Amino acid sequence: MFDRRFINYFDWGLLGLSVLLGFVGLATLYSAVSSSIPTQSPHKILYFKQLIWYGAGLAVMVIAFLINYKSIERWALLFYGICILLLVCVMYFGKYVGGAKRWLILGPISVQPSEIVKIAVIISLARYYSKIANTGGINLRDLFTPLVITIIPFFLIVKQPDLGTAMLVILIAGSMTVFIKIEKRSLLFIIVSCSLIAPMVWFFLKGYQKIRILTFLNPDRDPLGAGYHIIQSKIAIGSGMITGKGFLKGTQNALFFLPEQHTDFIFSVLSEEWGFAGSTALLIVFLMLIIYGLNVAYRCRDPFGTILSVGITSMIFWQAFINIGMAMGLMPVVGVPLPFISYGGSSIISIMICIGLLINVSMRRFMFE
Amino acid sequence: MKTDDKKYIRFRMILVGIVFSCFFATIGAKAVYLQVYCGAWLSQKAANQYESIVKSSGKRGKIYDKNLREMAVSIDVTSIAAHPVQVDNKKTTARLLSKVLKIDKNVLVRKLTSGKKFVWIKRQVTPREGEAVRNLGITGIDFIPEHNRFYPSKISAAQVLGFTDIDDQGIEGLEFYYDSYLRGKTSKFMILKDALGRGFDAEKITFLNYSGNNLVLTIDRTIQYITEKALSDAVAAFSARSGMAIVMVPKTGAILALAHVPFFNPNTVSNFNQELWRNRIITDPFEPGSTMKVFSAAAAIESGSSTPNSIFYCENGAYKIGRNVVHDTHKHGWLSLQQIIKHSSNIGAIKFIETTGAKRLYKTLRDFGFGTKTGVDCPGESAGSLAPYQRWTKIDTGAISFGQGISVSALQLITATCAIANDGILMRPYIVQGITDQNGRLIKSFRPKKNRRAVSSKTALTVRRLMRTVVTEGGTGVNAAIEGYSVCGKTGTAQKINQKGEYTKDKYISSFVGFLPAESPKVAILVVVDEPQKNHYGGVVAAPAFKNIAEKIIDYMDISPTGKSEKLMVAL
Repeated sequence: MFDRRFINYFDWGLLGLSVLLGFVGLATLYSAVSSSIPTQSPHKILYFKQLIWYGAGLAVMVIAFLINYKSIERWALLFYGICILLLVCVMYFGKYVGGAKRWLILGPISVQPSEIVKIAVIISLARYYSKIANTGGINLRDLFTPLVITIIPFFLIVKQPDLGTAMLVILIAGSMTVFIKIEKRSLLFIIVSCSLIAPMVWFFLKGYQKIRILTFLNPDRDPLGAGYHIIQSKIAIGSGMITGKGFLKGTQNALFFLPEQHTDFIFSVLSEEWGFAGSTALLIVFLMLIIYGLNVAYRCRDPFGTILSVGITSMIFWQAFINIGMAMGLMPVVGVPLPFISYGGSSIISIMICIGLLINVSMRRFMFE
Repeated sequence: MKTDDKKYIRFRMILVGIVFSCFFATIGAKAVYLQVYCGAWLSQKAANQYESIVKSSGKRGKIYDKNLREMAVSIDVTSIAAHPVQVDNKKTTARLLSKVLKIDKNVLVRKLTSGKKFVWIKRQVTPREGEAVRNLGITGIDFIPEHNRFYPSKISAAQVLGFTDIDDQGIEGLEFYYDSYLRGKTSKFMILKDALGRGFDAEKITFLNYSGNNLVLTIDRTIQYITEKALSDAVAAFSARSGMAIVMVPKTGAILALAHVPFFNPNTVSNFNQELWRNRIITDPFEPGSTMKVFSAAAAIESGSSTPNSIFYCENGAYKIGRNVVHDTHKHGWLSLQQIIKHSSNIGAIKFIETTGAKRLYKTLRDFGFGTKTGVDCPGESAGSLAPYQRWTKIDTGAISFGQGISVSALQLITATCAIANDGILMRPYIVQGITDQNGRLIKSFRPKKNRRAVSSKTALTVRRLMRTVVTEGGTGVNAAIEGYSVCGKTGTAQKINQKGEYTKDKYISSFVGFLPAESPKVAILVVVDEPQKNHYGGVVAAPAFKNIAEKIIDYMDISPTGKSEKLMVAL
């Protein structure tokens, strides 16, 4: 099974970018958990937990690129099924944290199956689309299966409730579908029906979700309540100015003005301390990773590999875009972790699997030449 | 999907790449907006949130008497405050605090639930209370060091010193007048505070020693005590309403004592009627009565219209001016100017002033400082009232000559008397002789200041001789005589004006003003007793108090008897 070409074709650039982002993430997290007053602040223990998760993530990544992705394609449905089962388990045995049931407790660790489900959906869709895709585009009937694949986890995640991750599943699936190309008539139909349905969604939203959207549209309607997070985040980012306040010198973070500074709003911590230079640099690194992912997809001669890579890349893209956009007030506040940077074991494992899969596709491209 | 259709994939790929890049560009643009365009503004906003300016005031300076004995000091106390946001269990906290500090629990609950970032729980607690609250160990309760003003000699010179409010600001007396010197320098510190309003880094600030400056008074605590004691005895003996007494050094205008009865205790200001807080010697003018004859005589002699030996007919005790009749206590026929002063004849005074004229009288009185402020360094000084002579009627001129129809403050009266003692030179009275910094170094000293020459040195000497006779056998002020010492003085007995503006028959202000030794005056003393009951003559009510004070001061200051000069004086 081992082929020397695996080494020749190994994607060091992809690994390098990921490691770079990993270090940026760890540094930022270190700052986010090092507040001046030890009580109240997210404990420093989180930093060491994250280090352990990164260790585990590296192991998972290695597994993810060692297994031939063609066999992953074969086992896609099983993987998908297990993930859905886990989501159902969350519904019944999940742990309530802050009013949402998102975690499964497995002994000393708690996992968030919705993070892994995203990958299952990407693999399953890639497998399906790779069979039916053609230059003319797919029609409505072809879209039925992908809709089912997407909608089941979507509803299970919405139930938790975790609207951010649920929307993310839709966005990833949507990006993959658009990439595959849909027939013009079908596309038109989808667009029209979506724009009709969209306003109705409002009535299904929970109270706090409605408030988040209203707050997004006008953060000043309740500056000390619902708008507090976003206003504080903007202040933190803006006060970093061009060069930032310096590592561990962010006042808004250290003095607890920033909420959720180690998870959802970690980008604000980075921006405050490294300024415009730092946040732009991070954006560029993310963009490089995304272009890199697309390049992997492009160079892969295997449709499954291509679509899988596009799916993974779009996942990284959407998460980065939503998280950063939210921190800057471009998006309503939704709990989507920033890949590599935000604290969270499941998020790290998930992103490391994704990088592993990209490397997997990249290093096996010679097989189809 | 056909693997050979490279163009198709390439197009889709580029499309996705461009779309993704565009989204990122939006974020980039927002980053430019927030961090470059709004950066400065948002930084300011951030600073407003986490920076907090904390003021810290240094200790208020001390007030010393002339011998550097403490008359007002500041002591360190603790005040208890709360940061309600940080107090977790507000009800329990309120209950615990109310037990220890004996404050109503509901008041505390209201304070703690007010939503404010800072509230005072109790200012300036006792050390025991502070310790008890500290032992409770409640988070969100803060201990703020403050200073409390304490007056060790309690009632002594209270009206002069004044007092401070709870925020250490001088609001009365010297505390008010010299507040800018006394006040501890306020330093502002920038501290960081977190989202809950908790300040920290505050402990790191090294508190510098930045106490206020100290005042060194001309007042002598011992003389002040002597004066207060004698005055209160006199007021008590005659069941008087109130009393004032001043001791001044004629040569310099330095005030050695300023006494008021009734007293009040500046350590517990609120227990006393606000009326008692005033430094009445400086703020309250009154009609002085016969003490004024000294200055009328000075006007007559200075103008050359009379000599001590000029004689005037005193109309046997009743003199009609227009529709008014002026009376003397004792009926006199012909009296010399000297005798008029000695026996304090009102009619005599009118008579010799008639030859001097209103204009000269007015000028001399102005020269002695009546009708203008002395410029003493105390707040609220009154100028008294002396109408311009052009508006005087004949009876006005007469009345003014014996001290009715003119009002003066006690300070003006003693200051003018000092001018007589000081060879005719009017000094500016003062009460603070120096200001020292926290290390005791003198940073400012106040020298005696000449206001002007009131009368010639020769006139002053002549008037002193007149005043000397008052305190001899047969004079109205004989009760002020001290064996072995030559005392100059003048009694005063003024009818008070009631609310209708008429002179009453039963309310008097009795006074005695004088100085000693006559040949080289060391101290001048004025005693004023308001509404004495059993007797109202200045020579009976105030003169003994004068003597009492003078004798003790002679002992204390070790003023030597001057029998020899006595003969010399008579020879003059």
